[in-house]
Amino acid sequence: MSKGILTDVTKCIGCLQCVSACKEVHHLEADEPRIWQKNDGLSAENWTSIITKPGNRFIRKQCRHCLEPACASVCPVGALHKTKIGAVVYDSSKCLGCRYCMMACPFGIPRYDWDKIVPHVEKCILCYDKIKDGEQPACTQACPQKATIFGERSELLKIAHQRIKENPGKYINKVWGEHEAGGTSVLYLSDIDLGFLSYPTNIGNKPLPDKTKTAMESVPFAFVGMGGVMLGLNWIIRRRMEFAKDENKKKDSADE
Amino acid sequence: MNRVRNTKLILWLISGFAAAIALNRFIFGLGVTTNLNDRTPWGLWIGFDVMGGVALAAGGFVITAIFYIMKREEFHPLVKPAVLTAFLGYVAVVFSLLIDLGLPWNIWHMIIYWNPHSPLFEVGWCVMLYTTVLFLEFSPVPLENFSRYARIRNFLMKYRFVFVLLGIMLSTLHQSSLGSLFLIMPFKLYPLWYTSILPIEFFISAIALGLMMITFESLLSHWIYRRKPETDIIAKLCRAVVWVLLTYFLVKMIDIIVEDKFAMIFNGSWQSFLFITELLISTIIPAILFAVPKFSRNSKVQWTGSIMVIVGVVLNRIDIGGLAMLGATGDSYTPMWTEIFISLGIISVAALVFLFAIEHFNVWDIQPKEPDALPHTLPSFDYSSKTWLGNPDVSSLTTHSLAFVVSFAVGMFLIPGSRLHSKGIENVKVNPASGFDTLFINGNRDDRFVKFPHQAHIAWLKDHNVSLSISYGNNELSINSIDSCQACHHLSLPLEKQSNCWQCHSSMYTKTNFFNHDWHAAKSGANLRCKDCHTPAETRSLRSAKKCTTCHPSYKFAAEVKNGKEKFYALSYTDAMHDLCVSCHAAESKKLKDKPNLARCTTCHKTYPEGSNGLPESLAAGLKWKINPPKFNNVILPEEKLVK
Repeated sequence: MSKGILTDVTKCIGCLQCVSACKEVHHLEADEPRIWQKNDGLSAENWTSIITKPGNRFIRKQCRHCLEPACASVCPVGALHKTKIGAVVYDSSKCLGCRYCMMACPFGIPRYDWDKIVPHVEKCILCYDKIKDGEQPACTQACPQKATIFGERSELLKIAHQRIKENPGKYINKVWGEHEAGGTSVLYLSDIDLGFLSYPTNIGNKPLPDKTKTAMESVPFAFVGMGGVMLGLNWIIRRRMEFAKDENKKKDSADE
Repeated sequence: MNRVRNTKLILWLISGFAAAIALNRFIFGLGVTTNLNDRTPWGLWIGFDVMGGVALAAGGFVITAIFYIMKREEFHPLVKPAVLTAFLGYVAVVFSLLIDLGLPWNIWHMIIYWNPHSPLFEVGWCVMLYTTVLFLEFSPVPLENFSRYARIRNFLMKYRFVFVLLGIMLSTLHQSSLGSLFLIMPFKLYPLWYTSILPIEFFISAIALGLMMITFESLLSHWIYRRKPETDIIAKLCRAVVWVLLTYFLVKMIDIIVEDKFAMIFNGSWQSFLFITELLISTIIPAILFAVPKFSRNSKVQWTGSIMVIVGVVLNRIDIGGLAMLGATGDSYTPMWTEIFISLGIISVAALVFLFAIEHFNVWDIQPKEPDALPHTLPSFDYSSKTWLGNPDVSSLTTHSLAFVVSFAVGMFLIPGSRLHSKGIENVKVNPASGFDTLFINGNRDDRFVKFPHQAHIAWLKDHNVSLSISYGNNELSINSIDSCQACHHLSLPLEKQSNCWQCHSSMYTKTNFFNHDWHAAKSGANLRCKDCHTPAETRSLRSAKKCTTCHPSYKFAAEVKNGKEKFYALSYTDAMHDLCVSCHAAESKKLKDKPNLARCTTCHKTYPEGSNGLPESLAAGLKWKINPPKFNNVILPEEKLVK
């Protein structure tokens, strides 16, 4: 019951219908380049964007909706969470604006309302309101080429592998998002390397939240352990001091 | 020279300056008052103020562990000031967080919304609890001055051991958890710093820093009040720190060797130099210095060594908090001066409170006095000249308050208003469109150009008798003369019939002033005298000037410009084009049932595959010559750098 999106880079013509549909559905304003934007097209007003690459390649960038999202695991108040249906959604009423999610995202997706006095985190929510009612997201609905399609993640994976099998040589034999960072709900098929969609190194195939798990699990032990060590140390030192006192007294009495 | 007064004066100056910046940060938002951006969402305030601040406040738990747990009575004179420093440090951290957080009024949400998986959640809770514990640990000292609260003080004194123990336990957690914050970012943090034992390294280095912070704080405050430093006790701390630094160094080196990163230290990248510098300053040099018994008793070496450890470990926090990530993010974040002054300001306020506390409470065994703070020794009346000198109690404070107010004003003055009001929008100059009858409008050269068939639009307007009503700022500009060029070219430059849009709307996203006063006054220009436009005997201003339409009756302005209420501004290029095109397209798309997409962004803004001329067949048929869309070579996506 985990939904996802499959984007086929070879089919995309860069018409931006998805971008424009996204803007309409989420009432996002016109995009103006701001000093804090770092030009992959994503911004607080642009939850999905088209990256143009040499050789007529258009790659749609959007939130990958990781199966085990780093952003949701680090949010101190749980403002971000992975829904059962697959979307990673954001609750602005909980958020306190620490921007840890932006730091932790391996794909560099969340954007911030830097210009607002009451700023929030902005990112694709997989049109959660629509998909929970059985509809599909605005972007896949708008795509005239069926380059980006919506469905069950497991079925999309099957479709992707089938396409690779049926068109030998057309695609790189890899479905981006199948394993990276423990797998993502948004998948890509491509004939060019899509490494640029994430930070270049060390993403790995294991879920990122695992990296902090050991440290976080040992927290109670460290807490109690340190208390025990300190109490023990204190007890030993006190005893020693008492012994020393007693011996001093004995010495004193012996001297007398 | 009065060291106390001058130190305070400097601190007051900085805090006034920082207060002005902080005020602007809350009025205008984070984006324009900092250099934080989408790639570097955590900047100096997290790296230095929060991470460095918590580490700098480690002296509190270290000294209480030495004094209360290990029962080393000789450190007694250092305990109270160190606990006070720690308490103020934590309060400072909380204040920096309040400035850094986007929604600081929601900071209490951590109490009710729980996410125990998050290291930040744990750090937040620990900082909250530990600040409270430190408050309880320290409050017996000020309560000494108020005999009324003796009962509370006795209660706190009775359970002090519990507070101390709790404080040490909480400190262990969050000092290490600050390292856990970065465990989730192996892709960002440079491998030399990234390791799964970051929490342990953080904890050990915090102990070292705590010891050195006690040393430094003691040396500094004794220097300010011209007291003899407690060199002998400090020497013991300096010898202790050698062992901590040695442990830190070994743990770090073993980890680096085990993870096979040793060669990286000498690979010549800027990160490797940073790493070596950091390790030298924070660990190697001070450890060697203090290992020599003669040196550890020398107060000059104590100064140098403690400063080195402090700078080094704080540098380590800054590196991990963001500096060592710039390679992966490809960003070039350098803190804006406003960020630096906020950091300095918070330290200054904390230092002022510290000085206040040691002057008014029994923090030291012998309470120091500021020379000016003894009003009864100062005269309030000069008998020889018979002048009232003012209340000496107040006059001793005036210098400092004046410094605060003046530097607050200077701060308000220095913050660039253009940046504050820009909403972060860059001033992009409009490039003129290319093409002949079909214009390829690509003002910002982002390769998503709009094709504008001029003749086709004229033909449509003539055939369909469209009356335009353009929303123009807050006003409507109605154009009825649909068969004239003025329907769109509403304001042409003198001697021109149809000026190009970009000539007045010269900035892509920001308003610009299009009225060229100097040209109008110049002999080679319009050659007008002042009185030709401005009413004589009145201040020469916009209000006293003639309206443009007096000389240029054909100009069509928005009402607010026409009435002289606004300056002669031209809307940004995008706003102007959107107002003109979209208003008409939106109206028409409602009328024309077969063209529902007429007003959608992508109908006009397109990215064309190379080689195709991108024209819909219907339009291409109406054109007399073949069009090749212009090629733009200057479109560089920043990602290219990362891909290689």
